[in-house]
Amino acid sequence: MVDKKIKILVVDDFATMRKVIRNLLKQIGYDNVIEAENGQVAFRTLKSQKVDFVISDWNMPTMSGLELLRAIRADQELSKTPFLMVTAEALKENVVEAVKAGVNNYIVKPFTAEVLEEKIAKITDSL
Amino acid sequence: MELDPLINSINEMVTSVLVLDSRVLDVMTAGKFLNKLDRIIEEAAVVPSLQKAARDLSKFLERIIIDYDSIKDHEAVFAGFEKGVGSLQIMANQVKKEGDSVLPGPPADVDGRNEIPADSGQAQEALAGQLRQEEMDRMNQDGEANQSFLQDDSLLKDFIVEALEYINEIEVNILNLEQNPDNKEHVNAVFRPFHSIKGVAGFLNLEKIRDLAHSLENALDKVRNDEWPVSSMLIDIILDGADALKEMIGNLRNRMDGREEEPLRVDISALEMRLKKLEEDPSGQGTVGESNVKKIGEILVEDGVIREETLEMALKEASRSVPPRKIGETLIEDGKVTPKQVSQALRKQASQITDATSIRVDTRKLDDLVNMVGELVITQTMIRQSPIVQGNKERKLFRDISQLVTITSELQRLSTSLRMIPIKQTFQRMSRLVRDLSRAAGKTINIELEGEDTEIDRNMVEEIYNPLVHLIRNAVDHGIESPRERIDCGKPEAGLITLKAYHRGGYVVIEIADNGRGLNKGKILDKAIRNRLVDPQESLSDADIFRLIFLPGLSTADKITDVSGRGVGMDVVKKAIEKLRGKIEIETIEGRGTTFITSFPLTMAIIDGMIVRVGRERYIIPTTAIRQLLRPTRESYNSVINKGEMINVRGNLLPLVRLYDLFDIEPEHKEPWESIVVVVDGESRSKCLLVDEIIGKEEVVIKGLGEGLKMVKGVSGGAIMGDGSVGLILDPEGLFELSEEKAA
Repeated sequence: MVDKKIKILVVDDFATMRKVIRNLLKQIGYDNVIEAENGQVAFRTLKSQKVDFVISDWNMPTMSGLELLRAIRADQELSKTPFLMVTAEALKENVVEAVKAGVNNYIVKPFTAEVLEEKIAKITDSL
Repeated sequence: MELDPLINSINEMVTSVLVLDSRVLDVMTAGKFLNKLDRIIEEAAVVPSLQKAARDLSKFLERIIIDYDSIKDHEAVFAGFEKGVGSLQIMANQVKKEGDSVLPGPPADVDGRNEIPADSGQAQEALAGQLRQEEMDRMNQDGEANQSFLQDDSLLKDFIVEALEYINEIEVNILNLEQNPDNKEHVNAVFRPFHSIKGVAGFLNLEKIRDLAHSLENALDKVRNDEWPVSSMLIDIILDGADALKEMIGNLRNRMDGREEEPLRVDISALEMRLKKLEEDPSGQGTVGESNVKKIGEILVEDGVIREETLEMALKEASRSVPPRKIGETLIEDGKVTPKQVSQALRKQASQITDATSIRVDTRKLDDLVNMVGELVITQTMIRQSPIVQGNKERKLFRDISQLVTITSELQRLSTSLRMIPIKQTFQRMSRLVRDLSRAAGKTINIELEGEDTEIDRNMVEEIYNPLVHLIRNAVDHGIESPRERIDCGKPEAGLITLKAYHRGGYVVIEIADNGRGLNKGKILDKAIRNRLVDPQESLSDADIFRLIFLPGLSTADKITDVSGRGVGMDVVKKAIEKLRGKIEIETIEGRGTTFITSFPLTMAIIDGMIVRVGRERYIIPTTAIRQLLRPTRESYNSVINKGEMINVRGNLLPLVRLYDLFDIEPEHKEPWESIVVVVDGESRSKCLLVDEIIGKEEVVIKGLGEGLKMVKGVSGGAIMGDGSVGLILDPEGLFELSEEKAA
């Protein structure tokens, strides 16, 4: 059974994009969503509260998605945090780098709520 | 044995496969195996065939990861992977037994995706094919899936606001990129907004916006990867693309406000064509051959005057009529274009034809050519001045040498002109800069250009651009007031920046004027005193006070807003200009505006000089600076109280400068009426230089004086004269300053 109460952290420097993802999450029943505008803010948030799932864009100023992922995997406390990478079609090659760095899965923009639900479920199922 | 670590790693990987929970490779697990394989690949360096097998397996895994969503038969994929790992183990064991490269080579299929030896080759091949097909299916499906994306009004509103902000950022960053094309940060700063806009537009069903952002993002990505250079054509396309995006988003907003039934589409066919052209020739310059001269119809479509469809229809029409009509006429008759538009297109075509007869030359070759011609001039003069030639009585030799001189002069004139280009392009870059900066600053600023055809040595163009841009930035940011302020002062809301270029006295003068705030004397003086740059007791003229802004202490010590008007970096600007042997002056009226007058020497290589003698020394005065030569009469000489010595030249009293005095030389004559006076133009005034004799006119090659002597006032350079000796080239303005200093 998928737990829809999990706390999800959405990371993207484009505010509207964060809103879009929040909306999609709401559509599939995930209401507990917090936001961060770059990797640095995200990491601080992760250290200060219990987050169950991270959905992060890749290309961000200050600290990129990849850097955030690496920081999480290297941190004792946070290393097992599920991480879903959001990527655009053209950057699929980066996916390999992300996967090697330990991302749980990736999702390609633009995506529908159904696809998002599938991806999240796949990850939470395998935990 | 050295192969132990390798064998261990492979065995470990096999074990990992065996202990997997399910026979499905998920993304994360694939990643873990990729990392293991990386290690194996490294350790297998001594066994090339095994290394290759490992590499192939790695590529196979990468393929799985990238096409993951299309995989239908996970079981088959897993099986393939399992077989691959098994083969590695088999190979490893064989190596252990027989030691090294006694391995069977890989089978003949060369598809890098699935080249794993033994029996698994075919399985992978089939799998790869399946993945490719599934990927294509998925892409087709996506088209239908679009409908389930979001249609949320509040999201659209947010998108509009944020996207427009991003686009403004793009404009500013593009200018940074233009100035520092090598800085990857700037490329990223321009790339990211397009990428973000594209991302969100996809979710909101904004196809046209998404596609345009995508094309622009691609172009920038190529720059990021160093595939394309930052050419001005690229910059223009990006700027125009950003404009088009803005328009599209504006239309979207209008539609949402219920204002218009405006389609989101903005005609970007011209833009797309330009992008395509850029793809063919990323340097953005293009060699125009005969065949590339465009037809009128093409030009009209490219400029966005008519649509492709309109052109096609008109072409059909024109060809159908008997006799076949010209496309321009047809379009005018159909009311699709105005005669003015056609004539503009014709002019464009004409200029392309002339372009087609030009060639591109490596500028190094050009510089070499000019240098060689310089040497030729020197050698030719040396021959001319040799005593033997001077004493020659033979007519034929005399004629031949004259001919030589004529040809050399013409050659020299031509070669210099090869390097001169009109300043028009620089001015256009600068006026675009004004337009974009003023938009970013929220001000309305008009630009006026004067003297765009003034020519300047092409080697100087890039060098002078930076300091001038600095001045323009200052004019926009600090010179011109905000629209509100201007209205409050009773000025027209729009500010004006004027760029002027002209030749004067051997220099190219470039003026940047604004009708903004002007500089505040008091504030500048205060700051300077506070920073201990001037003695409060010293009495300074207005001009002196304004010149203080060029002092390093003053500019860097202050916040930009404090010194009313100008900001950080004026000392840097001055240094940059002086490095090019140029000068900068200010004229300003508080409340009315400021003008910066910069001047640069006309050419870098050869100048026409008048050789003069003072005592035993010879000097060169650029003939472009010389107004007149005369031997003054006793009467024309005046000594005016508090003003010094003057010579009456055609009714004007001009100050006299005794060169021998300035340079500490023993002259032949001291009295003006026994000497010669050369009337020269400085930057804004003229004076009389006293010399002993005029030796003659000569073309001399300018050579640098070396660092130590570069900043000597009154001397603008050294030159090699006809007899091979070195003479100093005088700089009139510097001489004027020197003489004033001495008098004071």
